[in-house]
Amino acid sequence: MKLSQGFRMAFKSVWSNKLRTALSMLGILIGVATVIALVGMGQGSKNQVEQQVASLGTNSLSVTITGRGTATSLSLEDALALADISNIEAVAPTVSGNATVKYEKTSTDVTVEGITGHYETVNDFSVQSGRYIAPVDVRNTQKVALIGVDTATELFGSDDPVGEVIAVNGSRFTIVGLLESKGSSLTGSNDEKILIPITTAQKMFDSVGVRSISIKVEDLDRMDQTVAALEASLLETFRGDDSSYRVFNQEDAVETLNSVNETMNTMLLYVAAITLVVGGIGVMNIMLVSVTERTREIGIRKSLGAKRRDILFQFLVEAVVISGIGGALGIGAGFLGSEAIGIANGTDTSVPPQTVAIAFVFSAVVGVVFGIFPANKASRLKPVDALRHD
Amino acid sequence: MIGTKQDALIEITQLVKQYVMGRETVTVLKGVSLSVYPGDFVAIVGPSGSGKSTMMNVIGCLDTPTDGSYKLDGTEVRGLSDNKLADIRNKKIGFIFQGFHLLPKLTALENCELPLIYRGLPAKQRREMAMTALEQVGLGERVHHRPSELSGGQQQRVAIARALATNPPILLADEPTGALDMKTGQEVLSLIEELNRKGHTIVLITHDMDVAKRAGRTVVMRDGELTETVGRRETHEAQPRLPDGVQERLVEQA
Ligand SMILES: Nc1ncnc2c1ncn2[C@@H]1O[C@H](COP(=O)(O)OP(=O)(O)O)[C@@H](O)[C@H]1O
Ligand SMILES: [Mg+2]
Repeated sequence: MKLSQGFRMAFKSVWSNKLRTALSMLGILIGVATVIALVGMGQGSKNQVEQQVASLGTNSLSVTITGRGTATSLSLEDALALADISNIEAVAPTVSGNATVKYEKTSTDVTVEGITGHYETVNDFSVQSGRYIAPVDVRNTQKVALIGVDTATELFGSDDPVGEVIAVNGSRFTIVGLLESKGSSLTGSNDEKILIPITTAQKMFDSVGVRSISIKVEDLDRMDQTVAALEASLLETFRGDDSSYRVFNQEDAVETLNSVNETMNTMLLYVAAITLVVGGIGVMNIMLVSVTERTREIGIRKSLGAKRRDILFQFLVEAVVISGIGGALGIGAGFLGSEAIGIANGTDTSVPPQTVAIAFVFSAVVGVVFGIFPANKASRLKPVDALRHD
Repeated sequence: MIGTKQDALIEITQLVKQYVMGRETVTVLKGVSLSVYPGDFVAIVGPSGSGKSTMMNVIGCLDTPTDGSYKLDGTEVRGLSDNKLADIRNKKIGFIFQGFHLLPKLTALENCELPLIYRGLPAKQRREMAMTALEQVGLGERVHHRPSELSGGQQQRVAIARALATNPPILLADEPTGALDMKTGQEVLSLIEELNRKGHTIVLITHDMDVAKRAGRTVVMRDGELTETVGRRETHEAQPRLPDGVQERLVEQA
């Protein structure tokens, strides 16, 4: 038999057994599509977390004061003094609380953070119009505020908030700057908040010390020494009580988050693998169910002079065509699915090419193996046995 | 024997066929011998279960003998490889089965082209040969029908056309009328007779004496043993000794 004729015969068989073809393709399609969609989803959430973590900056540290009482709190001066430690570029202590802000008839609850001017550098969070909190505002406990874009929209609509006066927990504050839009980070929305001078905030929330400090490090390579120096300094301040503070390395946080994400991705991969196997079993079933019919066919073909290699070639081409088309459609469906999931969740999904390759190859191998395995068996039968098969 | 001067097309000597079923060995053909010469129309007749189909499967190289010798067109068939046997089936033998054995998804023409495809002929030549064969069996008008769109008699004629398409020296028919009613069965038999008159060598297998009578020569298979009968009278007399066959024939005729 000629090769081209073998191809033609196989295509004809694939085409004329539409139900069988469609069902086996479906098994492969679902397997591949699910894997791609699931992995795409997992990758998407991983990317999202990484982006958020990156927005925090890996060259930053944060110190949280957990101790209570005067002996175990950090005064603003002590906090600012931490900037003297070598390799620390800037220190941004914050005091935060919740407050109701009101403008004319509109009011809303927001997070209020008391900051110093260094907040801008340390958190990489600037204003798009107006000015920032200046040292003089902090020194004089000025009632000035920076407003986040979402809060601004809520209170002022599309009007320019700079220069307007709002009431924060009843006190009048002048808005001096509109913050740039920053979206959400792991610590919540950055656009629904108000920043005021830290001294003003201490007064408003009646807090003596500083409970949270963000620190920007100059040289990332010397992070470890810097953390050590910082901890030594804090230990001295707290007179040996190391339970009163905690230093968070942003890198540690990234690692923790990544490991959580890895776990989730691994689980998704298991689910995807199970789907592939289930899809494979579906394909196998279809192929095996049609074995009686096909064994007869093989018997007839052999009685007419088909050789074993003719039979195998035909079935191989059939299986490759079905698996190939099924797999290709599955890739298409998987991408559409992961896009849809991305849109529904508002996350970017991304599908790594090797996942596509693995899913495709696995399904194709399942399709081809179970396509030719019964055919191989039947083609070994004596024609008389194949013809009698039932 | 007839025509010993001419070389036999089929020469079977002391052929044994055994099946192993579990621990038991069943001997279905117990050392049969048969010679078929070019142009012969031989009927192998016998009751159901006597081993006729087994015999035909061996003759058609669909099955391999356990012992003995089988020479087809001068070549010893026993011990040939699968591929060689496939070649022999393709070139030397045309099968006509009781159950037609057409591929349901293919049209009459495509079914007839199948053996020519395995012979490796180009499309145009295949088509011509298949068409000629279909016209020969009177189905020139129905070439694009699938088996399911044809009557039993027509399907059997497609099968005959498929057997003829390769122009094989031997046509093997195993109960070709078994699945057909009387009238279409007769038509198919007339067609086979006509093919014999045109020079095709035919081996016909049947349990029906009336069918066997149409052949030029009848051999009787009984319990795995073959006896040559000469002339039609004797065949008739042999009838009472074949209660199974007669009974079946009567049932069929009823
Ligand atoms: N594959 C097989 N395995 C075991 N026994 C078989 C097989 N094929 C046929 N036989 C036995 O051989 C005997 C002859 O069968 P067969 O040649 O089909 O008879 P016939 O065609 O004359 O009716 C039967 O008894 C049948 O059971
Ligand atoms: Mg039989």
